[in-house]
Amino acid sequence: MGKYTIQVYTERCTGCLRCELACSDLYTKTFNPSKARIQVTATGLDCMIRFTGECNYCGVCVDHCFYDALQKEEKVAVNE
Amino acid sequence: MNRGGFAGKVLYVDLTDEEIKQEPLDFSLCEKFIGGLGLTVKLAYDNIEPGNDALSPENPIVLGAGPFVGTNLPATSRVYAVTKLPSSGTIGWCGGGGMNFGCMLKNAGFDHVIIKGRAQKPVFLQIFDDDVQILDAESLWGKGVEETTEALWQEFGRPAGVIAIGRAGENKVVFSMAYIDRLSTLGRGGFGAVMGSKNLKAVIVKGSQGIEVADRKRYRALNKDFLQTIREYPYLKEWQELGMFKSFPMASELYDPIKKRRIACVSCPIGDKDVVEIPDGEYKGLVKCTTSATNLFTPLIHGLSDYRESIKCVTILDEYGLDKFEFFGLMGFVKNLGDQGIISKDQLESEVDSGSIQSIETWAGKISNREGLGDIMADGFNGILKHFGEGAVPYAPPLVRGMLPYAGPGGSISWNLFGTMELGQVLDPRGPHVGSGGSPTYFAKRPLEVFPRHLRRMGVPEETIARILPRLDSPDQEQILNVGRLLKYSHRWFTILGSMGICARAQINRFYNAALCADLYEAVTGIETDLEKLRKRVDRVWTLLRMDFIKNGKYQGRVWQKRRRLT
Repeated sequence: MGKYTIQVYTERCTGCLRCELACSDLYTKTFNPSKARIQVTATGLDCMIRFTGECNYCGVCVDHCFYDALQKEEKVAVNE
Repeated sequence: MNRGGFAGKVLYVDLTDEEIKQEPLDFSLCEKFIGGLGLTVKLAYDNIEPGNDALSPENPIVLGAGPFVGTNLPATSRVYAVTKLPSSGTIGWCGGGGMNFGCMLKNAGFDHVIIKGRAQKPVFLQIFDDDVQILDAESLWGKGVEETTEALWQEFGRPAGVIAIGRAGENKVVFSMAYIDRLSTLGRGGFGAVMGSKNLKAVIVKGSQGIEVADRKRYRALNKDFLQTIREYPYLKEWQELGMFKSFPMASELYDPIKKRRIACVSCPIGDKDVVEIPDGEYKGLVKCTTSATNLFTPLIHGLSDYRESIKCVTILDEYGLDKFEFFGLMGFVKNLGDQGIISKDQLESEVDSGSIQSIETWAGKISNREGLGDIMADGFNGILKHFGEGAVPYAPPLVRGMLPYAGPGGSISWNLFGTMELGQVLDPRGPHVGSGGSPTYFAKRPLEVFPRHLRRMGVPEETIARILPRLDSPDQEQILNVGRLLKYSHRWFTILGSMGICARAQINRFYNAALCADLYEAVTGIETDLEKLRKRVDRVWTLLRMDFIKNGKYQGRVWQKRRRLT
């Protein structure tokens, strides 16, 4: 798993897809929302945000969100 | 260096012959006309033949999205359409916030779409990557804009971009518009009617091909700094939360109770579109998506007194696809003619009152369905003047090219200084529209002290700034603004933004400057560009647009419809 835990606040999402653009750019070197590992569906009053099975929670989507709809926290390593 | 930014293809659709073909984008044209608005103007010039009526099958619709559309440069979703418009009878360039449409069109592999002909029955155009089809729209015909858009999303899923018309467009009302993703307006002056004349109810696009940039390293460096500048902007949160209400603090108390969600076009960090819900009263629970919540209150200027009725009113007009500025102007005009007895009570059929939601709903329906007197009103001011003759002229509001100006006596925007928007709408053969005269760069009330900074940002040479503001070096004297000179550079700046695909709204274009645009364009497209080259290309676009006006000649309506002392 990735470095971060990602918190989602759908009520703040505007559907701008900046997260999808950043993700696809990083992993496919093209801006291609259909290939993003985060998928946003904004329908008006409602908004759904989900992460695909490929997502490694790298946090690039969070870095490109201007609306604080995504926030990340670094995972804490636990020694047993 | 790779070509980037452009999807690489132009889609040609002939609705009469049901022919669909794709052709590679001619990159030599990109070098000359930038892309987006510029290339749309060029393709319109090549494809619109003089002499054809705006509502004839031969009049093409040319759609385009610039090279930045689909990238993650801030607020780069702008979509343009150029066609001959029925209101003015001349070429009109129509622009809208692209929502999902521009990004999806580019991802489907197309920079431009050219639609000609007339389908035998109602159709919609489906563009899903290479799967392009003309499909039956019988079940959509008669539906409102949002109803149509939602029906298409329901059937084909999201994300998908949709341009749709309502009943007014279907019936070729000359002030009908099309809507992008059910809220961004496209084409004051009758773009909706042009789609309707083709029996084209909607265009839906989805794509999965991706957009590359030519020089990734340089792009990322430029974009990183740029995004940081926006993040550090002290008013960012305020703009995000209030949008254009930031400029109208008096009205924000109306906004708070209805605000549900801010929405944005693809890539925009300062989204200024809205989902609102009426919290109480007769229309409690009505949810409205709008291109700007400020628009929802325009009917209050024209006579309604209850803000909830105002929202209901805009909902009705948007579902039909009617330009509300023209609608309210016509309502006032027809009421005047009724009061003067030029229109008899029998002809009026029903009360005409812009202060009554019932009257608004009745007349919006009559116009959109072309019923009774509504059939004449559907042909706009020119239609009424033609029908009722010279006797009606004194009772018309002041008109520009047969349309109600945004800014002017009787218009929705205050009229107390003369700026580029006011001059632009007079000079533009198309008449008044939101882009006339570079409204993004100048509102008449701005203090002149801020102009040099904005002019430098727009790429205006220093010697020209001194000609636009001739007393700049004499701060003790009253300052003068040469509006005519400013207009040229205002058009140039608007053309840079539009050709690249950047939103022109003040809250976002303030972060861009011409030199940055040149750098970003070179990084995205790989086309060698500096400020001087950019200026030449922009002037080429604007000159071609003027040539297109001349080539297509005939303008309907006088510049000013009547003489009136302006106070």
